Amino acid sequence: MVVALALPLVVPAIITAVLWLLPGDPAEIICPPEICDGTEALAASFGLDKGPAQFYLRWITSAARGELGNSWRIMQGFPVAELIWESLPTTALLALMALVPLTFGGVAAALGWLSSRLDAVWQAVGLAPAVILALVCAAFVEINFGARSYDGVAGWLRLGLGAGVLALADGALAATVMGTRASFEEEVKQRYIQIARLRGESAVANALPNLLPALVGQTRARVLHILSGTVVVEVVLGIPGLGELLFDGTLAQDFGVVLAATWAFSLLSALLLLGQAGVEVAVALWVRRAPRLAELPA
Amino acid sequence: MSVQTPSTARWLPALGLACVVLLAGSTVAYYDEALPSTLNPMFARTMVDRRSQELVFDRLFYRSAITNELKSNLVTEFEHLEGNTKLKVTLREGVKWHDGKSFGPADVCFTVEALLNSPSEVARDFAESLVGCESIPRERAAVITFSKAFHNARERAAFSVLPKHHFKSSTLQPHAEFSSRPVGTGPMRAVRHKREVRFNAFPNAHHNPKISEMSLSEGLDPYVQVKTLLNGGVQGLVAVSPPHRPEVAASDDVALKSYDLRSWWFVALNPSTPALADRRVRQAINATLDRTVLRELTIGVDPGDSNPPCEFVSGPFVQSSPYYNRSVKVAERSDRSKARALMREAGATMEAGRWVWGGAPVALRIGMNSPLNVEARDLLNQIGNQLQAGGFDSQVYKVNADDWVQKAVTGRLIDQYDALVGKWSFGVVEEVNQMFHSRDGAGRGAFNIFNYDNAEVDQILQRYTAARTDTEAQDAYHDLHALLAVDLPYLFLWKLDTKSAWRNEVRNNTISPFYYFTEFDGWRL
Amino acid sequence: MNRRTAALLLAAALLAALLAATAVAPPYLSVPVPERAYLGPFEAPPFGLDERGVPLHEIALQGAAIVTVPAILSGLLVMVLATFAGLVRCAGIGWVDGVIQVGSELVGALPRLVVVLVVALLLPKEWKVLLPIGLAWAVLAAPGAMDEAAAYAGRIGGARFVEALRAHGFSRWRIYGYHVIWLNLRPVIVRQGAEVTMQVVFLEIALSYLALRQNEPSFTHADSEFSWASLLYKGYTALLGVPLLHALWLGLALVAAVAILAQSVRYAARAR
Repeated sequence: MVVALALPLVVPAIITAVLWLLPGDPAEIICPPEICDGTEALAASFGLDKGPAQFYLRWITSAARGELGNSWRIMQGFPVAELIWESLPTTALLALMALVPLTFGGVAAALGWLSSRLDAVWQAVGLAPAVILALVCAAFVEINFGARSYDGVAGWLRLGLGAGVLALADGALAATVMGTRASFEEEVKQRYIQIARLRGESAVANALPNLLPALVGQTRARVLHILSGTVVVEVVLGIPGLGELLFDGTLAQDFGVVLAATWAFSLLSALLLLGQAGVEVAVALWVRRAPRLAELPA
Repeated sequence: MSVQTPSTARWLPALGLACVVLLAGSTVAYYDEALPSTLNPMFARTMVDRRSQELVFDRLFYRSAITNELKSNLVTEFEHLEGNTKLKVTLREGVKWHDGKSFGPADVCFTVEALLNSPSEVARDFAESLVGCESIPRERAAVITFSKAFHNARERAAFSVLPKHHFKSSTLQPHAEFSSRPVGTGPMRAVRHKREVRFNAFPNAHHNPKISEMSLSEGLDPYVQVKTLLNGGVQGLVAVSPPHRPEVAASDDVALKSYDLRSWWFVALNPSTPALADRRVRQAINATLDRTVLRELTIGVDPGDSNPPCEFVSGPFVQSSPYYNRSVKVAERSDRSKARALMREAGATMEAGRWVWGGAPVALRIGMNSPLNVEARDLLNQIGNQLQAGGFDSQVYKVNADDWVQKAVTGRLIDQYDALVGKWSFGVVEEVNQMFHSRDGAGRGAFNIFNYDNAEVDQILQRYTAARTDTEAQDAYHDLHALLAVDLPYLFLWKLDTKSAWRNEVRNNTISPFYYFTEFDGWRL
Repeated sequence: MNRRTAALLLAAALLAALLAATAVAPPYLSVPVPERAYLGPFEAPPFGLDERGVPLHEIALQGAAIVTVPAILSGLLVMVLATFAGLVRCAGIGWVDGVIQVGSELVGALPRLVVVLVVALLLPKEWKVLLPIGLAWAVLAAPGAMDEAAAYAGRIGGARFVEALRAHGFSRWRIYGYHVIWLNLRPVIVRQGAEVTMQVVFLEIALSYLALRQNEPSFTHADSEFSWASLLYKGYTALLGVPLLHALWLGLALVAAVAILAQSVRYAARAR
């Protein structure tokens, strides 16, 4: 919980420190004093003239109000908040679509529908790095729809293929299937499950509440893994999401965009952490409300 | 060697899609080398910026690509006053800004004020010549005052006009929303999106564009760009990379057209590097480079080609320029014996195949503007290899486009590089003063990459500035050419013809030198 | 020969090949020969030539030189950190364990490539090598590895396990070095190390590919060198019709070799 609350505050602080650690004055990058008279005015307008602490405080308080300033370089003058609002849903949709096969895979593994003999297949596919799968998909889309195909069927295909890459590459699906199966297999060996079976109850239904915090933790790790992969997948497949925005901002040293994009990622991570904590609390409360042994009918 | 063509079947869907796009509306899509960094002409930095802004704004004067005479879409009459130190312009009636407001003399004077007050390279360029402006609303005229009498006064006033009503002050800032959503008087209205720039036609008293929509996208891989063009996914490419020109030229549906950028490629040398402070070392490096081999390996020009797209230059002008001094010959081939003699004369010794000067090996950190790699593949490494073979240790680095524009050309990489490979492009006014004049507090030498300082060169440049006739200007620059070819603050490489490619559906597409879209009113589908 | 030995021999052979490639990698590529462009492996062995007539094997060698040492060092860093976490759990030093937990939560809460991009932004041009980025990746991967190692140490009994072995008269060095690390933690830490090594190689390919695609200077190596990403980029154009499929196969084979190396190491080190 503490980490979840600290993350959106810590990340912009680190980026601000990076900004000041880099050689040169950020305002001079945009307006070199050798040929430009207004560097001081520019620094003042960006809030760069009063040092890192003031800059950070000004930025974080504006960000809390939804004001993320204008892009410094990649789309000069364009409000960063608009860039983020345009990009965030795409990345969120990409991550959600990538979670679908992972969720199905986890459920199937938990219910014993996926044979462990197939694990070698998932592992083999998972050895392929995301960049390779993404470039094959990008070539497929460009061959069939042309290079400028971002709307309609081609746009959805890019998203779908990107989600597939994120789900399969770098061992994501393999880890989900094998990890979930291992968790359930370990849990069903517990005595209470054996007793539940004797009572005619489902092993999975009994194990699930106890495993839920661990599963949610694993899911959070998967989502983080997926979000990390979105940078590569979005750039290669030309999906206009947060990862592509962050990459462009990094290349152009557009700190307005980098700050906002990394902050958006940290907010997503914080939400995931809060979600996990919420599930853990809910399970704990549910377990606490379960009837005591003494209250069971004779 | 020709490139294998993929089976047609795979490209049919793309072709079909292209036809639908074409039939649905007269939208012309084209690739440029990047998206513009800004649509505000006050802060134009790259050629992409200038080309895009040419569609959105009118310059007060421009040179016709057809007749080469100076014309104006905004000015109906002009008059030189007070011995050419003032220019009175009477403006056309009925011209509207893209937001519907009327254009007038106040806008011209506001633009002059902005050029004098705003923090930008473009403003600095014009501010050298301009002093002020007086608006005469009753005559619909403005009087522009220059710092002195210029022989080419109208060219000195060829700035893009900005709308006064859109700004709170004449000190413009680069990050304002105007940079993405500009308001001009040009034939097209523009909005910059993340992946493209969309232009929509804006008929006006002085413009009647026949193409209703344009879309500019960033072209990444040159091969993909060409394939997309040939299959109708886009209608144009601003710059076709040399290895793909034969394939484009062979197509019946596409025409290759010349785009005169008046650009030349160079290797700037850093005189603050101890070894390079000695002119003889610079001359030795010049003699080490084999330009013919470089051209063959990186651009793909056959040495036997009688009409190469890549023409060597011996100074800071292209051969077709009136300023080019034809008596200065180009060193097309390396001359290793000459290089050795020069280095020995400079006091260097050869140890284990490496030149040692002043007790230390001559080691060069060479940077190159990264996007140039598309036009001249692997040029950086080939230059490094040739210098290495000649006894000069080299480390090569690519400089990204942003750092090039922000730092390299403004002289802020002087401590990080010993040599920088780049390309200069010139507009209407082919002036090189800012590159070679010593950098001073008065704004001269703003683009002097390595703070080159030569009093004789400064004098010649001042002669050029003071010239009252074209002949005086040409004489000054001829002398400059001759001096720079000996002093070598730059190694001058070549001029590479830029070729655009447009599908035949786009008709009457006259491409203007430098600004590209100046004659856009004539373009049609 | 059992499977474990076979895996060990395979891993050793692949590692030796990578290290040898690093040692013999040419500092510069050969001069292009345009007349011989696009020749395949049969016309121009061993792996053919690219679109400029440059031998692909030279690019493969340079790529190996770029990734091998930084990837191995990054894997070793993760192994050291995971070992430390496991030992701390066995030693029962509660406050250190707590600090590791909190640090792990914080570091592990951000998407890794996002952090790595910011690190790449910070690096000055003289530091454009893979090692700092690889080490940053290793630090970001360490929380998971440390968690797993600590959990494993907890499952074998933690401090009680150590206490029991002390009661048998074994020295601390023997207990921690042999019983804890070699007999019990080894499969976990070696697996984590091998995975991170593989991930760093793939990270380099991804970052270099992105830079190539955007026509930008490299994040991970000198601009005079060529990464395995160049092969994949040529392979991508091959998918679009350029006759460079042999470059794609070579790139995929190199990626597969690294993956097989990581899996072989993992298999060889697994618990009996």
